[in-house]
Amino acid sequence: MATASSTWVGKSIKRKEDLRLIRGEGQYLSDMVVPRMLYMGVVRSVHAHARIKSIDTSRARAMPGVVAVVTGEDFKNWKTILTDASIPNLPGETKRPLYRPLPAEKVYHVGEPVAAVVTRNKYQLEDAMELIDIDYEPIPAVIDAEEALKPGAPLLYPEWGDNLIYHQRITSGDADKAFAEADLIVKERFQCHRCGAQPMETRSCLAIYDAAQGLTLWLTTQRPHNIRDLLADYLEMPHDKVRVIQPRDMGSGYGTKAPFYREDIVACALAIKLRQPVKWVENRMESLMNIGQERDQIHYVEAALRKDGKILGIRDKIIANDGDGQVGIYAGFAMPHLGAMYFINGYDIDNIDIDLNCVVTNKAVLTPVRAFGSYASRFAIDRILDIAGRKLGVDQLEMRRRNAIHEFPHQTALGIYVDSGDLLGALDKAAAAMNCGSFRQEQARARDQGRYLGVGFSMGIEISGVPSAVLVELENTPGYGVATVRIDAQGKVQVAEGDSPHGQSHETTFAQAVASELGVTPDDVYVTYGDTFSTPFSTGTLGSRGASYTISAAVLAARALRPKICRIAAHLLKLPPEAAADSNFSFEDGQIIWNQDRSKRISLREAAHTAMLAPTKFPPGSDLNLEHTYHFEADAPGMHSCNVHAVKVEVFPDTGAFKILKYVAVNDCGVPINPMIVDGQIHGGIWMGLSNATSEEYVYDEQGQQLSTTLLDYQMLSSADMPSDIELIDHSVPSPHTPLGSKGKGEGVPGMVPAALANAIEDALSPFGITINKLPLKPEYIWRLIHAER
Amino acid sequence: MKTAVRITINGEPYEATVENRLLLVDFIREVAQLTGTHVGCSVEGRCGVCTVILDGKAVKSCLLLAVQADGCNVLTIEGLAANGRLHPIQEAFWEKHGLQCGFCTPGQMMTLYDFLKSPKRSDEEIREAMAGVLCPCTGYVHIVEAVKAAIAKLDAMTPAERQALFPL
Repeated sequence: MATASSTWVGKSIKRKEDLRLIRGEGQYLSDMVVPRMLYMGVVRSVHAHARIKSIDTSRARAMPGVVAVVTGEDFKNWKTILTDASIPNLPGETKRPLYRPLPAEKVYHVGEPVAAVVTRNKYQLEDAMELIDIDYEPIPAVIDAEEALKPGAPLLYPEWGDNLIYHQRITSGDADKAFAEADLIVKERFQCHRCGAQPMETRSCLAIYDAAQGLTLWLTTQRPHNIRDLLADYLEMPHDKVRVIQPRDMGSGYGTKAPFYREDIVACALAIKLRQPVKWVENRMESLMNIGQERDQIHYVEAALRKDGKILGIRDKIIANDGDGQVGIYAGFAMPHLGAMYFINGYDIDNIDIDLNCVVTNKAVLTPVRAFGSYASRFAIDRILDIAGRKLGVDQLEMRRRNAIHEFPHQTALGIYVDSGDLLGALDKAAAAMNCGSFRQEQARARDQGRYLGVGFSMGIEISGVPSAVLVELENTPGYGVATVRIDAQGKVQVAEGDSPHGQSHETTFAQAVASELGVTPDDVYVTYGDTFSTPFSTGTLGSRGASYTISAAVLAARALRPKICRIAAHLLKLPPEAAADSNFSFEDGQIIWNQDRSKRISLREAAHTAMLAPTKFPPGSDLNLEHTYHFEADAPGMHSCNVHAVKVEVFPDTGAFKILKYVAVNDCGVPINPMIVDGQIHGGIWMGLSNATSEEYVYDEQGQQLSTTLLDYQMLSSADMPSDIELIDHSVPSPHTPLGSKGKGEGVPGMVPAALANAIEDALSPFGITINKLPLKPEYIWRLIHAER
Repeated sequence: MKTAVRITINGEPYEATVENRLLLVDFIREVAQLTGTHVGCSVEGRCGVCTVILDGKAVKSCLLLAVQADGCNVLTIEGLAANGRLHPIQEAFWEKHGLQCGFCTPGQMMTLYDFLKSPKRSDEEIREAMAGVLCPCTGYVHIVEAVKAAIAKLDAMTPAERQALFPL
C-alpha cells in the first residue's frame, strides 16, 4: 500500500449529500419540468393471459388535451427488445421471449403495458386513459411454476413447446458417490414467496428530442451507460445522438432500477415522434404490478452428511418462477442463475448437483432486488444445516464450524472466488453476543415457565462487486470500476464516475478516500455522476461495487496524479528535478511539502492554478494535465465479505406470533471508509430481509390477478414493527485486492435474514418438532405448523 | 369545476384558481413549485413521504384536496430552516445519518415536527409516531437516533427558543 495519509478513511463524517436533501432542495426526476413538456400515461392489461382482439382509441383521441395515443400496432414492425446485447449470455439452454415496447397480439401478465396516452396535463391523463377501450379474449393462464412445467400446461410462448426459459445443470465433484457414502441423507422442499423491494421514488423518465442533439433521456436508473448503449442499439440511432442522464438525486433502487424497461422506450418513441418532451412518472400501483418482484423460487434440497455434521454432497432442484421473462438485461433468469451459483455460499462443499429450471408464467417478470437471486437459496442452505444438525445431534454452531470455509482465499466448488474474510471468527463473535454459553440454560428455564425462546444463525459470503469474468456472461457488461479525478484551477478535486449512486453516499465516501490521497479535506472534493456525456463508461451502481471497484478506481486515479503534482511543485519550488519523486513529498492540509525541508511547500491550489493558467512558467513540453482516468479491474476473480447473523426470538405457540428479542449482525467490509454509512447500509439490509421474510408478499390469485397493488396490501415494515435491539459488530478483514482494502457492503445483507430468523423460531419450538420450509414467516403459518404436529 | 384558493405556505401566500380535484400535494409541488414535498404512493396515504404541517398538524398532503386547505397555513420542509439556520430536526437527521436516498426524508422530518410538540419521549412512542412514513433505506435505526438527538437539542433550549422553532 502507498503511504498516502489516511486521515479521512475510517471517519464517520456527516454526509455531503445531506445539506440539500434535508432542506428539500434535492433534484429528483419527478421534480423536473421543461418547456412544452407533455405527460405520458400507460394503460395496462387487466388480464394475466389474453389475446388483444381490438383496441379502440377514438374516444381518447377525441378528448381535448390528448396529444397522442399509441398501441402495439404502432410498434408491430419494431424488433424484439431482448437482443443478444440485452439477454444474459449464460452457458445453459436459453429461450428468448419476443416482445416489443407495446404488444400487438397478446398480453402475458396483469399490469403489462398495452397502450400509452400523451396529454398536456397530468390530470387529463387519468381521464384519457379511461377512454381507451380494449377488447380482450382471455386464454388460460398459468401462475404456479410447477404447474407450468407439467405436460398440457398453458404455454406462454407456444413456439417453445414448453415453459422453460432457462435450464442449466451445474455440477462439481461426484454427488452420487457422496450420497452413497453418507451417514445421513436429509431432503426438504423449501419455498420462498415472491417479494422484493419498492423504492420510495417510483420509476420515471423524461425524454427530450431534437434533430441536432438527438435524444436525451432523463431516467431513474442505476446504470445510465448501459441503458444508453441498449437504447441507441434498439432505436438504431448513432451513439452520439443518445444521451442518458440519471438526475442528481434518485429515490433509491435496490436493484429495481437496473433493467432496460419498455416504458422508457415508449416515452422516447413518443418524444421523437411528437418533437416535444415527454415525461412519464410511474404510480405506485404500476410499480407494485411490475417491478421489485424477486425471490420466487422452490428448492428441492437433498444433503448427504457424515455423522459429525460435515456435508459431503448436496443436490438441489431449483424451480424459479420467472414471470413472463420480458425485461431487458435480466430476462427474469439472471437472478435465479446467480442464486444457484451462490447456493453453497460460505460453506465448503465439494460434491454438488444443481438442476436449475427457470420457468415462465403469467406473473410479472422477476426483476433484481438486493440479495440478487440468493435470498431463497440462502434460506435453503442455512435451513438444511439446522434440519440436518438436529437429526444428527450436532448443534447449530458446530454445524457451521464443521462446514464453513476455513481458509482464504478459497474457490468454492461452484467456482466462486472468495478472497478474504473470517467466517469462524465472525461466528464466535455472534455466539458471544447472543450469550450462547448460557443460552441453553436460559431456554430451559423459560420453557419451565411456558415460554419459548430460540436462537438461530446464518452465515455466508456477500458479493463485493461482480468481476467482469462473471458480469459479462450474466449481464453483457463489464465489472471494472472507472473514475476520473481532475484537479481544477482552484485546487479543488473533481471525481467523475460512471456509476449512479442513489443513497449509497458516494459523494461522501469517494471524497473521503480521494481527500486522503491528495492531502485535502472531503470539502475540497466534489463528485459528479449520472450524465453519460460527461462521465466515463461504467456498469452502474449495483452489486456492492462502489466501495470495492469504483472507489478503488478513484483512489488509483488520484495516486496517478501525485507524481505529476510533485513535478509541478518541485519546479515551482525551484527544487532540482531529481527531487520531484512522489516519495519525497507529503500531501498534507492542502499543501505539497518537501520532506527534506518542510519549509519548502506550495499549496495544491497554487500548483494547480499555475499549471493550468500560467503554463508559461514551466519548461516547454511539461506534462501539466492534472486529470487521470483509472480503470480498476481487481487482480483476483472475485471479492467477498464474510458475515454472520444471529437472532433471538420468543415464540407464542397459541398464536404463532413471535418477537425478535435481539438481532446481531457481524459484518465484514474490508476497511470501512465511513463506519456510520456502512452501518446504515447494514441496517437497511436487515430491514429489507425482515420485511421480506415476515410481511411483504406479491400475491396473485389463481387467474393471475394481482392482489397486492397498494402499499396497504404489500406491507413494508414500519418503525414500530422493527426490533429495537439490533447490534452491529465489525469483523472486517481487508481485501488484498483493493488499494484501501475496502470491500462492498449492503447488497447481500437481506439474504442473511430469513434463515437466521426461521432457525431461531424452529429452535424455540423444538419441543413441537416442526420444520419451517416456507416463507413468509407469518403467525398463521407458524401456528399451522404447531397445530399440524399436535 | 374550478375554485379560487389561497393557501399560505411557509409564510408566503399562494393564490390560484384550481380544479377542485387538485390534490394539496400537487398544489404545493406544482402551483407553489415547492418540490421538497414528495409523492411516493398512489394517493393511498400509506407511504407518508408527502407529509406536511397543516394548521399545526401533520397531514398527508396526497389525501387532501387543495380546496380543503383554502385559507390554511402549511409548513413544508423548505420552511423548516428559519433565517438561514437549520432546524434542530434537520441537524439531527444530518448528524445521525437519518437518510440515505433522501426521498422519504421530508415526510419523516415533518412527522417529527408534529411529534416534538408533544411531551412523548419513550422509544416506543417514537417508533409509533414515525410509523406513518416508510423508509426502505435506513431500517429506521438512524431515524430513531435522529429523533432522540432532536429531542436532546430541544431539551437543552429555553421554552422561548423552543417555541420559536415551532411557528405552526
